[in-house]
Amino acid sequence: MTTLETPAPAPAAPLAKPSTAARAWRTLRSSRAATIGLAIVAVHVLIALLAPVLTSYDPIANNADQALLGPSWEHLAGTDQYGRDVLTRVLYGGRYALGVSVTATLLTVALGTVAGCAAALRGGWFDDVLGRVLDAVLSVPPVLVLLVVVTALGTGPSVIVLAIAVVYVPQVVRVVRGAALAIVPADYVTAARARGEGTWAILRREVLPNITDVVCVEFAMRASWVVLLISSLSFLGFGADPPTPDWGLMVAENRTAITVVPMASLAPIIALATLVIGLNLAADALSKAWGVDRVREGR
Amino acid sequence: MTATTAIVSVDSLSVAYRSGGRDVSVVHEVSLDVRPGRTLALVGESGSGKSTVAATLLGHLRHGSRVTAGTVRVDGADVFALPARELRRLRGGTVAMVGQNAGQALTPSMRIGRQIAEVGGDIPVVDLLEQVRLPRPAELARRYPHELSGGQQQRVAIAMAVAARPKVLVLDEPTTGLDVVTQRGVLDLIGALRDELGLAAVLVSHDLGVVAHMADEVTVLRSGRIVEAAPTGRLFAAPQDPYTRRLLASVPRLDDAGLALVGEAGEREVRPRAVVSDASPVAVSARDLTVDYGSSRAVTRAVDGVSFEVRRGEVLALVGESGSGKSTLAWALAGLRAPSGGAMTHESGDLAGPARKRPLSLRRRVQLVFQNADTSLNPRRSVGDAVRRPLRFFGTAGSRAEAAARARQLISDVRLDPAFVDRLPAQLSGGQRQRIGIARALAGEPDVLIADEITTALDVSVQADVLRLLDDLRRERELACLFISHDLAVVRGIADRVVVLRNGVVVEEGPTDAVFADPGHPYTRQLMVAALEPDPDTRPLVADAPEWTDAAEPDDVWTELGDGHRVRRWSPLAREGVA
Repeated sequence: MTTLETPAPAPAAPLAKPSTAARAWRTLRSSRAATIGLAIVAVHVLIALLAPVLTSYDPIANNADQALLGPSWEHLAGTDQYGRDVLTRVLYGGRYALGVSVTATLLTVALGTVAGCAAALRGGWFDDVLGRVLDAVLSVPPVLVLLVVVTALGTGPSVIVLAIAVVYVPQVVRVVRGAALAIVPADYVTAARARGEGTWAILRREVLPNITDVVCVEFAMRASWVVLLISSLSFLGFGADPPTPDWGLMVAENRTAITVVPMASLAPIIALATLVIGLNLAADALSKAWGVDRVREGR
Repeated sequence: MTATTAIVSVDSLSVAYRSGGRDVSVVHEVSLDVRPGRTLALVGESGSGKSTVAATLLGHLRHGSRVTAGTVRVDGADVFALPARELRRLRGGTVAMVGQNAGQALTPSMRIGRQIAEVGGDIPVVDLLEQVRLPRPAELARRYPHELSGGQQQRVAIAMAVAARPKVLVLDEPTTGLDVVTQRGVLDLIGALRDELGLAAVLVSHDLGVVAHMADEVTVLRSGRIVEAAPTGRLFAAPQDPYTRRLLASVPRLDDAGLALVGEAGEREVRPRAVVSDASPVAVSARDLTVDYGSSRAVTRAVDGVSFEVRRGEVLALVGESGSGKSTLAWALAGLRAPSGGAMTHESGDLAGPARKRPLSLRRRVQLVFQNADTSLNPRRSVGDAVRRPLRFFGTAGSRAEAAARARQLISDVRLDPAFVDRLPAQLSGGQRQRIGIARALAGEPDVLIADEITTALDVSVQADVLRLLDDLRRERELACLFISHDLAVVRGIADRVVVLRNGVVVEEGPTDAVFADPGHPYTRQLMVAALEPDPDTRPLVADAPEWTDAAEPDDVWTELGDGHRVRRWSPLAREGVA
């Protein structure tokens, strides 16, 4: 009960409260699933970046003499029907999968976040119209949309990135809009409105900082979906063009020879599976970490 | 220790939770006894551990907390030693709890009747509903919780609590969040049930008026320790501990002629009201303002033909229960809700348009302070950032460096340490956050400040500080202040003039002293009668209000009582006319 004559209490030494990022990092580390998940993803990224250092073979050069070899010291995972080293192709294969997936996910989550926040903030007819349009998009199976788009516009990476954005943005919008709806009635948003700030300024300054956790989890989760979707496309022959080293494509190319050189099909499958599992573990743990944080902080 | 007669007996109870590897004490060596038919009140400010103690009677501890010492005995049983099955029988059977927010305690998708029946007990649901004085119980039992008002929901919660005929009732802030009139009804009901059923009650409350009205004995808690325990009469008449004295002195009274300033030892000094000269200009005025909610098909009129004006340096209070339209009025004035009729003018321009359409120079001169300090600041942005933003946005500070300097100045203007700039809102107390909210409003250099229930969520001592700050600021800065509140005692201290709103209509207005000395409208009286003073022997300031009906005619709305005090015409309602 301080009266006003008494000088305001000096702020004690900065409270021992680490920043949100530091806290999240701590919780992440304390969870084994998160550590494993993030480590797997990190290893995949490293391999993709360092592929030329890790192997001396060329991932696309054919060598008929070496076709369909089993695992040996020279070719740890054997070779495929064109005599290309399977391990090399798997190592390089991550580049396409990760590159296209990350770009597509970034675009999807960015668009979805902006649209979701705007819908929550503006409300009214904007929210209604956007909601119905997104419902319409959601009702179409993703693979079907992608196939149509790719058939019409070609199979370039930019086309695939855009198509994936179209397919997945509605889901991100829904999640983000839900999170933003919890923030919008808060008085600090009302204060900004009373100041007459624009939608974009309110969104960036007041709403976004409070839903970063949701957006991050959304990113990690969508990434694993996108990786799978892109690989499915490649498998169906609508993704990467041969002879690009790509996991989905490799499975498609080598499945006829699965009895002769099983590793040629298995290796890319293992690579794909570990990446997706890693992303899922990370997303799961991330959401748990932030959720647990909330309980602890009593928010 | 009168363990033979006491039905509830808490003996040197200590509760702690673990945080960062060490124990943090929440409750420290608290002892209390309650005998059947008696009510014990646990009083304290937020964080005093009063709810924690009350919950232990049901064997409940917040997640992560544990009992480190002492025992809790209810009806002879050691609560924390009971096996799970018997603990379940104790809860509801022997001890029942009524929480603060009944709306959240009821399952929204289940009819009232089924919900009450689920508790068990042999008493028919209709009888229970009748016992809690709910009208047409048979019909009510078929309704869903959302179809009831807050007061009715609380009554249903009470019916559920007494359904299994418990011996002890734990009431955790049972009327916080209810309107004064509703609160009075619920408290009277609890009192009657307690006497009827011979219940022992433990009442947790921060509201000393409620405590004075309800309790036989009071235990004052502070930071988990007992500060003082005494029979209600003695505690309110002669508080021993300085903390209790300060706490009691901080409560605003209906008969204060100005703002009460409270000293360290709990002495009270009433500061005379600031004199607003008739020459000071009218800062903001509203004429026949109406605000509607809903679509064109189903219109709800929230504000109906309200007119008022506020001079520079004057505090005008808008008083009314929830739903009276007082907050809607504030939002309309701030440009957040479009009025459907009437005019609002500021001395430098028309306030008709929404905030975004108003010129920047006008927008910055009408500023809002919010009720809930917890949500009025962005948790992810520093306090300094919250104050700097309007400085930069309104252009009141030219450069970054100037904004930073001005922000520090504003923070010290609201009597806080400027070093707070780098803190996050979570690191501040409720009162400090509310001050930052005021500093943010002041950043636009306003001449009209709209304070929407700004002290409602604060503890009494903090409320006293914030009120004093507001009073200082309006003197220093010649602020016209629109003070919105449902608490008549607070209004009495700070406001120069009062406007009483009911269902969006002004029923009475006038100078504060005149309105409080002689309330002309039955509704004003009703509010004053329902207000609870922190004194068990208090006499109501005014006689009970008669039943009334609105008798205002289009050409003859007001009864003038002189000096700007006027009352909307009404006529007494014949008794047999009451449905």
